[in-house]
Amino acid sequence: MQSSLAVLAENIVKRFPGVVAVNNVTFDLRYGEIHGLLGQNGAGKSTLLKVVYGVHKPDHGNIYVDNRKVFIKSPRDARKLGIALVHQEIAVLPHLTVLENIALLGFSWGNLISKFDRSEFKNYIDKIMSRFGIDLEFNEKVRNLSSAEKMLVQIVAALSINAKILLLDEPTSPLSLHEVEKLFDVLKQLKKEGLAITFVTHRVNEALDICDRITILRNGEKVATVESKDIDAHTLIKLMLGREPEELYRVRVDKDIETIFSRYLGEVPLIELKNISTQPQTAAEVPLKNINLKIYRGEVVAVFGFIGAGKTELGKTLIGLTKVSHGDILYMGKKIKIKSPVEAIKHGIFYLPEDRRVEGLIPHFTVTANMDISSLDIVKKFGIFIDSLKELNISLDMIKKLNVVTSSPYAKITQLSGGNQQKVLVARAMLTNAKLVIFDEPTVGIDVATKAEIRRLIYRYARERGVSSLVLTSDVDEALGLADRIYVMRDGKIIREYINKNLDRDEILKNLA
Amino acid sequence: MVLRILNNALTKFKYFYTYYELSRALIPLIILILVSIAMSPRYFLNPVNIKVVLMQITPLTLIATGEMLIILMGSIDLSPGSAQAATAMIAAILTRTTNNLLLAILVAVALGTLIGVINGVLVSKLRIYSFVATLASLVIWRSFVIIVSGGKLIYGLTQYSVFTQDFGTYIPIGFVLTVFIVILIYVLLTKTVIGRYLYGIGSNEDAVRLAGVRADFVKFLAFTIAGTLYGLGGVMLIAMGGFAVDPWSARGNELNAIASCVLGGIMLTGGSGHPLGGLLGASMLTILTNILVLLGVTEIAVQQTVVGIVLIGAATALTRGLRYVK
Repeated sequence: MQSSLAVLAENIVKRFPGVVAVNNVTFDLRYGEIHGLLGQNGAGKSTLLKVVYGVHKPDHGNIYVDNRKVFIKSPRDARKLGIALVHQEIAVLPHLTVLENIALLGFSWGNLISKFDRSEFKNYIDKIMSRFGIDLEFNEKVRNLSSAEKMLVQIVAALSINAKILLLDEPTSPLSLHEVEKLFDVLKQLKKEGLAITFVTHRVNEALDICDRITILRNGEKVATVESKDIDAHTLIKLMLGREPEELYRVRVDKDIETIFSRYLGEVPLIELKNISTQPQTAAEVPLKNINLKIYRGEVVAVFGFIGAGKTELGKTLIGLTKVSHGDILYMGKKIKIKSPVEAIKHGIFYLPEDRRVEGLIPHFTVTANMDISSLDIVKKFGIFIDSLKELNISLDMIKKLNVVTSSPYAKITQLSGGNQQKVLVARAMLTNAKLVIFDEPTVGIDVATKAEIRRLIYRYARERGVSSLVLTSDVDEALGLADRIYVMRDGKIIREYINKNLDRDEILKNLA
Repeated sequence: MVLRILNNALTKFKYFYTYYELSRALIPLIILILVSIAMSPRYFLNPVNIKVVLMQITPLTLIATGEMLIILMGSIDLSPGSAQAATAMIAAILTRTTNNLLLAILVAVALGTLIGVINGVLVSKLRIYSFVATLASLVIWRSFVIIVSGGKLIYGLTQYSVFTQDFGTYIPIGFVLTVFIVILIYVLLTKTVIGRYLYGIGSNEDAVRLAGVRADFVKFLAFTIAGTLYGLGGVMLIAMGGFAVDPWSARGNELNAIASCVLGGIMLTGGSGHPLGGLLGASMLTILTNILVLLGVTEIAVQQTVVGIVLIGAATALTRGLRYVK
């Protein structure tokens, strides 16, 4: 069994409306190896896994399992072929016990009619667990387990149905360092037994630690597959981030830079965070630790860091959606409290969310209605009525200015491509009279030409209208090409601050290796 | 060739049917009316029957329109039946004791509004699921009716005949008033900021909240307006229901209101549906029962079964194209 091919996914293409999530990727996985899938947010790692697991149907490409061509139409098909997906923590049933979870997650229809013998099943699972050195309390409710243990429950469930191919989707992101080590021990044991393991991550060091081979994805395309013993962290980061053509990211001109910098001495910042720490309200939320940050009027500030660095939490702190346990927010030097997005807007702070579809778009609305939902004040007449003519004119004006491709201002927003949807959201921000706009990953998951357009818009908006922008990004080129100052974030902390002048790209990346 | 043209026409019709929210309710209603006429032209088009149908439509339209406001936000309201009974009972008692019709109506509508305010506070301030909060309302206000009425029927409230007068047109005044109120709601939903926010909340509440909308206030407002409509529905219940109220009046009407919304093309997931959906759906539900009666189907059980089957059909058409529903 050693070293033979487990899965070959050949020339996989998966398109979503407006974006090619996976573009012609070929990926092979052998038995007895841990194969890392490394890439940024939106690189297509999860989509690729979901294609193999039958969640998404590929638009093009073939999948071979054990050298036989297969058609995987649903996760059920995948499991029949011995493929199991272990997801961060979504796939467990919190109110059932460990044993019940294992039984249910490993459930197949064959078991429905056969008699379920509890003690026999217990013995069976016990044997599996001791073989791989996994230690779990059978009668504990799963909601009381740590994230790592929940992961193990899923792994044991996969083993109980004799899965030979394990797909692990970002297993380490909710785990502490110690838990990661424990998980890795188990994975190594599984590898020794000849299982094929795919390990999705955006953390370079982890990939190097545990994987035999690493496939790097970027913008839906495969960059390379490398043996991990032949490569070092720095090269890997470079491969993962790539470098975009200069004209795509270099939107900032250095001409006016001196005037910007001279202000840092005298002026009071528009917004200042002083020693802000937060208390996470959910398991997935990253706590912020002692954040100090300043944003001046008309300045573009970027916060650069990977997923899980706490960028979104930082953005949400500024609109009152996290619980601040310590520290102050100063607005023009005065202490303020922000408790909700409504209050944030009163102070002129507007946040454009990272996940367009979940938190940004209003799917049943037209392009126009999506644009001015935050600024209906300017199209009001007689108190509560909407002046539809005025609304149409403003919308047409914005569509022209931002070059939004849409059949009509009254087209449904869902009919637009991802890039154009994002432009509509940028227009939403521009129509408010915000003094600070927080752009959370403004260009993730959209095509390259629109990326450049949106960056230019953000920049021009700051320079011409004097509106400050806080760009939260995991794209180092975006930060370098756009921002006057760059903060580097990691694990909920700001670890460096740079003034973007003669700044070296590698110098920033060194912080994250 | 012919097949292609036919196919084209079908595609166009599909598009029309799915995306034009008004047509979702209007086309089935027209079909239903045509079928009814075809099946029983003499009785169905009889002016007296038309008046009876319009009278039955009136109170149901008012509560269905209120329910629609809530469903458009993606919430649900189980209180319309009890609210209708509570307001009707208060109006009846006041009419009896004071003989002042206007006062009775005003107090009834005010009580309806109060019920809406309480629902609104429970949902938007105390953050209780609308299903649970209004379930409590359903039980509490029904108990209120039983207590204030002493379990007794109040009848002979002939003052309410002002709403059933038709001046020879067979269209009762109450129905005209109701259509006027529906038009007001239509304007509220389509031409005002509040309507925009209301649809937005139903479509994607997270996005609307992040966009800085005071969603809690809009929710509160919607429940309040819905309550007012239930109050009016209570008054019309007396007028159209034989000038009498008993403690179990309007029982189960919350379900008729929800069914009307479904028939009227209002998506239960929120955010989608035409503002006239409540009126059209209530009309459909009423005409459906009416034609069954005219055809001699007097067994309530059979009627309800047919209504249920039609409801399943309407609901299937409504959610076609969705990957799954809850």
